[in-house]
Amino acid sequence: MFFNGGFFWFLMGILSVVVVAAFRAFARDRGWRIAWWKGLFGIAAYFVFAMSFYAWGTLIGEGEGGAGFRILVLGIVISLALGAGFWKLITAKPAD
Amino acid sequence: MSESTEKGISRRDLLKLAGVAGVAVQAGGLVAAGIRAGRSSESYTGWESFNPGTQFFDRRPFEFEGPAHRPVSEVRRPSHLTDYVFGRVAAFQQAYRAHPAWKPGEPLEALGMSAQLAQFYRDFPERLEWDFKTFTETVPNNSRDKEKYGNYYVLAEAYEAGFSAHAGFLRGPSAPPEESDFPGPDPFGRKTRPPLPFRTPALAADFVKEMAHRYGATLAAVTKTNPDWLYSEGWRGCPPDYDFSRMPAHWEYAVVIGVPMEWDVVLSNPQFGTSNDAYDRVSTAAIRLEGMLKFLGYPARSHTPLTNYDLIVPPHAVEAGLGEIGRTGFCITPEAGGNCRMAVVTTNLPMAVDKPIDYGVARFCNKCKLCAESCPSGSISMADSPDGMVIRGYEHWYINNGSCYNFWRETMGPMGCRLCVAACPYSRKDNWIHDLAREIDPRDPTGAVSSGLLSIQKHAFEYPEAAEYHRPPGGRFASFRPEPPYLRAEKYLNIPINKPGK
Repeated sequence: MFFNGGFFWFLMGILSVVVVAAFRAFARDRGWRIAWWKGLFGIAAYFVFAMSFYAWGTLIGEGEGGAGFRILVLGIVISLALGAGFWKLITAKPAD
Repeated sequence: MSESTEKGISRRDLLKLAGVAGVAVQAGGLVAAGIRAGRSSESYTGWESFNPGTQFFDRRPFEFEGPAHRPVSEVRRPSHLTDYVFGRVAAFQQAYRAHPAWKPGEPLEALGMSAQLAQFYRDFPERLEWDFKTFTETVPNNSRDKEKYGNYYVLAEAYEAGFSAHAGFLRGPSAPPEESDFPGPDPFGRKTRPPLPFRTPALAADFVKEMAHRYGATLAAVTKTNPDWLYSEGWRGCPPDYDFSRMPAHWEYAVVIGVPMEWDVVLSNPQFGTSNDAYDRVSTAAIRLEGMLKFLGYPARSHTPLTNYDLIVPPHAVEAGLGEIGRTGFCITPEAGGNCRMAVVTTNLPMAVDKPIDYGVARFCNKCKLCAESCPSGSISMADSPDGMVIRGYEHWYINNGSCYNFWRETMGPMGCRLCVAACPYSRKDNWIHDLAREIDPRDPTGAVSSGLLSIQKHAFEYPEAAEYHRPPGGRFASFRPEPPYLRAEKYLNIPINKPGK
């Protein structure tokens, strides 16, 4: 089955690389310099975002779609909060 | 900016667009992969599995030196006549049939029941009330309900009938332990032999557990048999004058095995569930194990749901490290939660014994209470801890098995409840989301993870109210979760069907 096979997770890995590369391009165009620890913050936000969708799907598969949707919303709220923190970190102007 | 493509979009912009598309594709792909993981038959821990991989939880970090149980007052061994609810209610009903003019409140001696049973009811008057209600009110009501609504549940009963039919092929011992447990001529004429020695007790335990899995056990562990947990009378194959006060020496070791009930069916309790699927498998595995041990020259006796027990299983399972006793009174295992039906094989093959484990169930049960809140009969304690609840000399959660059994007899389908099994947050399948909880929660000394998970469990998931599980008009014969499609009589059968609530 495609969705639990190694090839699927390989594709997910490739997509993650593309997403990170695209964000780096986006950041460079704006002249942002992202320290490694700020980058980890961003990866955490994206990880929570992505896993919320995985959790939603898993609970749909278990017949608990309603609970899955609530957990998705919770995950998105958490990832938005993390994402907002990340955004603030990378757009903050250095102190004079 | 980097160079442009023929359409005027730079490669850099193309990369950024691909990144946005990648987020969308990844989200969609993860939902699809999640659905696959949630539906996967591989996540049905132990169901129809015959390999040791079903015991996947690493217990070693949670082991402690036993025993897990210490008596806090004088120990009384369990009794088939009183503690065993089926035997007790049957004896009460038999006595009542002989004295139909008897009414609750009148002396129990007037019923002609045994002094032991009368004393039990004096000690637990609430159980007298419930047991009387069971056969005078609940069972007759249930017969009427089944006439009206029974067809809606008939495929669940058919599913159960297949497993219970096999029970007739499983035989328990017909002679006392000193005779029946020892190897004798087998049906294939193989001769008995002196016990084959193993290289070490550890290897003996490894081999026995490996065989248990190969015979169909999902979980297997070894402990020493505790005489406190032998029934005080009525061992199979023993005459009434048998000396039940001493444990046969060859019952020294107890191999405890467990098997889950089918996962979708267990969630459709109390109306569609059955224990007999797991009873059948665990009994069969235990009888196979008994036969294997006898072949090697060792005495063995299986204690199983379908051939009956001479001992109680949950405390042995706890001592063997299969899990911990929860609020519901059964052994909650890391792999299957409470969805685990158990059997024991007693033997004198020297084996290395397993250690009990503490992976946080006791602390979790103190704060969870989901089973108690869901219990339609209120049989499970709502207390904040089991402190002070002493049953037969040991401190553990009190369950009113009289009110519990009363609700059993109210349910439709194959009979029984098991709602506490379905509601228990530990009774979850083997996929990444539950495995994450399984691995992280026991390693969190603060309890914050379990509190967070419990909060999600209580607020994100929806359950019927306890009253909804009852018969109409007070209830609607609700099930914890809808029945699996293959148990829907409306889908398959061309018969009149009266669905409750319609």
